[in-house]
Amino acid sequence: MSEIALSGSAFMAVVRRDLHVFLSYRTRLVSQVLTSVFSLTLFYYVSRMVTVNGFGSPDEYFGFVVVGIALVSVLYSCFSISETVRGELIAGTFERMLLSPFGGVRGVLAMTVFPLAYAFVLAAITLGLGCVVFGLQLHWATVPFAIPAMVLALLAFLPFGIFFSALTIATKQGSVGTSWVIALISIVGGLYFPVALLPGWAQVAAEVQPFTPATEMLRHLLVGSPLTTPLAEAIAKVAAFAVVLLPASLYILHRAIRFGQRRGTIIEY
Amino acid sequence: MSRNALQLSPQADGLEQAAPAAPSSVPADAMPLALRGVSKRWRKDLPPVLEDVDLDIDLGTSTWIGGRNGVGKTTLLRIAAGLIDPDQGRAQAWGFTAAERRQRYQQLIALLPAGDRGLYARLTVRRQLTFWARIAMVDRSAVAGVVEEAIDAFALRELEDRRVDRMSMGQRQRVRIAMTFLAKPEVVLLDEPLTSLDSEGAAILDRAIGELLDRGGALLWCSPEGERLDRQFDAKLMLDRGRLVPA
Repeated sequence: MSEIALSGSAFMAVVRRDLHVFLSYRTRLVSQVLTSVFSLTLFYYVSRMVTVNGFGSPDEYFGFVVVGIALVSVLYSCFSISETVRGELIAGTFERMLLSPFGGVRGVLAMTVFPLAYAFVLAAITLGLGCVVFGLQLHWATVPFAIPAMVLALLAFLPFGIFFSALTIATKQGSVGTSWVIALISIVGGLYFPVALLPGWAQVAAEVQPFTPATEMLRHLLVGSPLTTPLAEAIAKVAAFAVVLLPASLYILHRAIRFGQRRGTIIEY
Repeated sequence: MSRNALQLSPQADGLEQAAPAAPSSVPADAMPLALRGVSKRWRKDLPPVLEDVDLDIDLGTSTWIGGRNGVGKTTLLRIAAGLIDPDQGRAQAWGFTAAERRQRYQQLIALLPAGDRGLYARLTVRRQLTFWARIAMVDRSAVAGVVEEAIDAFALRELEDRRVDRMSMGQRQRVRIAMTFLAKPEVVLLDEPLTSLDSEGAAILDRAIGELLDRGGALLWCSPEGERLDRQFDAKLMLDRGRLVPA
């Protein structure tokens, strides 16, 4: 069996493990779908209650915000990876991973797959509920293109989860600022309202991370929201972030593990 | 500073016997596991926990290292396993360190850490072992057979579908030991392996060690001084103030 096949088998073993652990909590999916339902209900009535500048109708704003809600769950999944790593440190299973031929870096990378795939499914459920329950109008002609666009967006978001995992390995604290970062991204990424409403300096922040172009790209493909930049430019931006940040985050993770091994703190939690 | 050197005489056919596991381009005299001038200090204001330690573990041999609690036995094993780095010196398998060839190193050397950690609480025994076999990069076609073998060898048949968080400490320890021996490593490092084991569990461990030595593998066992050991070792050492001395 080739090296790549063995690595692939180990990689999939981590994904299956995460699936089995997830399925062992029988109410988790239900509770997270309910969270989406509550968010959709809240914003459905907010969209009917207020008039939002730049949106022609309440339905237009509702479509805008539903995509934002779906992406927030993706963001949470990205950043939850550091919590997973923290759990593994406490349980001593990360030590086991380090002692395995598969190793820590590939192990953490594999740990990202299930949460992101699950976030993908949860985002699809959120959009589906938006359509079925709240009459969200999807732009069906471009919806199929949203799938590869979402994969690209995940590749651009993933480095943030890996970076925070590296930070967790170095500091032993899983939630160092992750909730603040998610809140900040929700604002500068335009998840709940257009970035154009932000003050000028905050709009600059919207330009230097992948969340804003990814959100705009997906929103355009899913509900036909107008773009502030050409689609090709948004795709190029997101791809560039993925290409630069993914290897950088893996290198930082590797350095964090080696730092812990040199200092002997890798076994602490 | 004098070297703290101890070497075991090989009882098996040495490197030739381990040919399938040993890297092809190793020095003829390279040991399956060797510590060379290993020192480790946890705090600058405290004496080193390991000081210039040399240790050779050859194939087909078993070694016991004892010592008081907190003397550094676990640190020594963690360094030998490639989990943490020494401040000075090298821990090497067949001449290379874990940092140089990590994947190969971890295929050759397995560690049972002390305590009861390292298990996924909500996975069944079978899933736990299957996961570990695949993470150990056992050939996919061999995984099922390896897991079945481990379930039988460590008397886990009745527990195979039970979640780990619903098992006793002794049963968990058997699973942890099974995970350590699962991928047939050449060198097995055991840190207080008798923890929570009953006499049946200890006998199962003894059989696994016997099988390891019979196939030319090597064993390094650490436990506190005073622990009752039924097994005979080829060498018995004590760790005292950072140095290895004959027991």
